[in-house]
Amino acid sequence: MTATTLQPNEMTGLITIDAARCKGCDACKKFCPTGAIDGASGAAHSIDQSQCLSCGQCLMACPFGAINENHSALETVIQKLADKNTTVVGIIAPAVRVAIGEEFGLGAGELVTGKLYGAMHRAGFKIFDCNFAADLTIMEEGSEFIHRLHALVKGEDNAGPLPQFTSCCPGWVRYLELRYPSLLPHLSTAKSPQQMAGAVAKTYGANVYDMEPKNIFTVAVMPCTAKKVEASRPEFNSAWQYNKAHGDHAAEYADMDAVLTTREMAQLLRLLDIDLATTDEYRGDSLFSQYTGAGTIFGTTGGVMEAALRTAHKVLTGDEMPRLEFEPVRGLEGVKAASITLYDRALSQNVDIHVAVVHDMGHNIEPVLQEVLAGISPYHFIEVMNCAGGCVNGGGQPIDPSGSSWLAAL
Amino acid sequence: MNNKPYLFAESRFLLSRRKFIALGGAFVAALALPVGWFSQKLMQRNDYIKARSKGLYRDDATAMLRVSHANPAVEKYYRDFGGEPLGHVSHELLHTHFIDRTRLKS
Repeated sequence: MTATTLQPNEMTGLITIDAARCKGCDACKKFCPTGAIDGASGAAHSIDQSQCLSCGQCLMACPFGAINENHSALETVIQKLADKNTTVVGIIAPAVRVAIGEEFGLGAGELVTGKLYGAMHRAGFKIFDCNFAADLTIMEEGSEFIHRLHALVKGEDNAGPLPQFTSCCPGWVRYLELRYPSLLPHLSTAKSPQQMAGAVAKTYGANVYDMEPKNIFTVAVMPCTAKKVEASRPEFNSAWQYNKAHGDHAAEYADMDAVLTTREMAQLLRLLDIDLATTDEYRGDSLFSQYTGAGTIFGTTGGVMEAALRTAHKVLTGDEMPRLEFEPVRGLEGVKAASITLYDRALSQNVDIHVAVVHDMGHNIEPVLQEVLAGISPYHFIEVMNCAGGCVNGGGQPIDPSGSSWLAAL
Repeated sequence: MNNKPYLFAESRFLLSRRKFIALGGAFVAALALPVGWFSQKLMQRNDYIKARSKGLYRDDATAMLRVSHANPAVEKYYRDFGGEPLGHVSHELLHTHFIDRTRLKS
C-alpha cells in the first residue's frame, strides 16, 4: 500500500518533459503552480506526477517545445464520427470560440462561434454549447451560495461554510484536494460545466436526440489539458447511474467520453479538410446551443463571479441588475476584491456580499487560503482559476507564436 | 524536492560553472538586442490574453440574453426534466463530492 494522489483509473502522465529536448532553462518552473518540476538549472527537468495538476502552463511556456501532451483522443473521435450508429455530441467551452480562429489564420481573440459550429457540424458533431451548461452551473452554484448565505445570516449551521469557492476549474479543485483537504467543504458541490454537460447529454439529451444513452458519445472541446484528467475521475458516471436506476441495463459508460483541447480540435478539422475560416456559420441543432452572455464570460477571469452576481441580484432583490457589467472583477490584477449590497426580500434586510476573484493561482492563492484557514477571510464567495487570465489562456489553447512567454519568468 | 543528486556534481563556490556560462550567454545576447525589444515584448506579452477576453466580453455585450436565469433552454430543462436547482435530479446529475488526496492508498 503506497500513498498516491490518484483514484483508480484516473488519468496520469498527461504532461511530461522530453529529456532529450529539455535545456534546463527553468522557464517552466516559474509557471508551475505546485512546484512539481524537478531538476537543476542546465540539467534535464522532470515532472513529479503526484503533484502535477495537468494544467499545461509549463507546456505553453517552454521555449524549446520540450514538454509533451500525451493521451490524445483524436483518433477515437474520428472513428466515432464515421460510425453511423453513434451520435457524437461536441461540447464547446466558452474560451475556445475566441482562440481557435488563430489556428486558421484569424486574429487573436476573434469571435468565431458560428463558424466553429459550422465546421464541427460538417465534421459530424451535434452542437452542445458548454455555455448552456455554464448557465446551468450558475443556477445550481448560485442557489447553493444563497442557501449558504441565508444560513449564515440566520445563524443556522445546516449549510456549507462560507466563503464558498467556485468549482469549475479542475486544476484548482485538484490543488485544494492535494494541499488543503480541510477546506474542501468550502468548494461548491456543483460540478463543472463540462461534467454537467456530459451528464445532461446522456440523460435529458437522450430524449432530445432520441438516442439510447449508450450510443451517445460525448466529446468536450476545451481550452484546458486538466479537463482530460477531470473527465477520467471515476465518480463521473452519473448519467449511467441515473439511467440504470430508471431501467437501463447497458454496461458502464462515463459522462464525458473524450476531451479534445482547442489545439486538437483544430488538428481534427485540418485532418478532415475543413477550413474553419471559410466555413459558413451554423446556428446549432437543438436547445443545447442556446446560451446567455453570462455563460460565455465563464472563459475569462472574473466571469463566473460576474455571471453569479447577475443571477444572485435577481433572486435576492427580485429585480435585474441595473447595470450588468461588473467592472471590479474584470482585468488582469492577481486578486480582485469587490463588495455589493443587496436588499434581500426573503430576509427583509440589506446584505453585504464580499467577493474575491483569483487567477494565476500559483502566484496568488496562498494568502487568500491562509485567511480562510485562520477564519478571518472577509469574503463570502471566491472565484479561483488556475491559469493567468482564466481559461482564455488555458494549457490547451493555441500557443502564442511570439515566443515571449518565458519573459514572464524575468 | 530539489535536493536530489544529479549526474554531475558542482562546487558550491558562488556560481556553478553552468550557471556562470548561462548568465554570460544571456548577458551577451542582451547586448546584441536593441533596448526597445525587451520592453516592447514585455508590454505585449499579455496582449493575446486581453484580446481573447475582449472577444468574450463582446459576445456577452451583443447577446440577446445576458443572465443565466433568462435562458429559455435552461428553463425548459428544469420544466421538462430537472425539476428545480438543488432538487433531487440536480443532486444526482449536477452535483459531486471531493476527495481528500492526502489519504489515498494504492
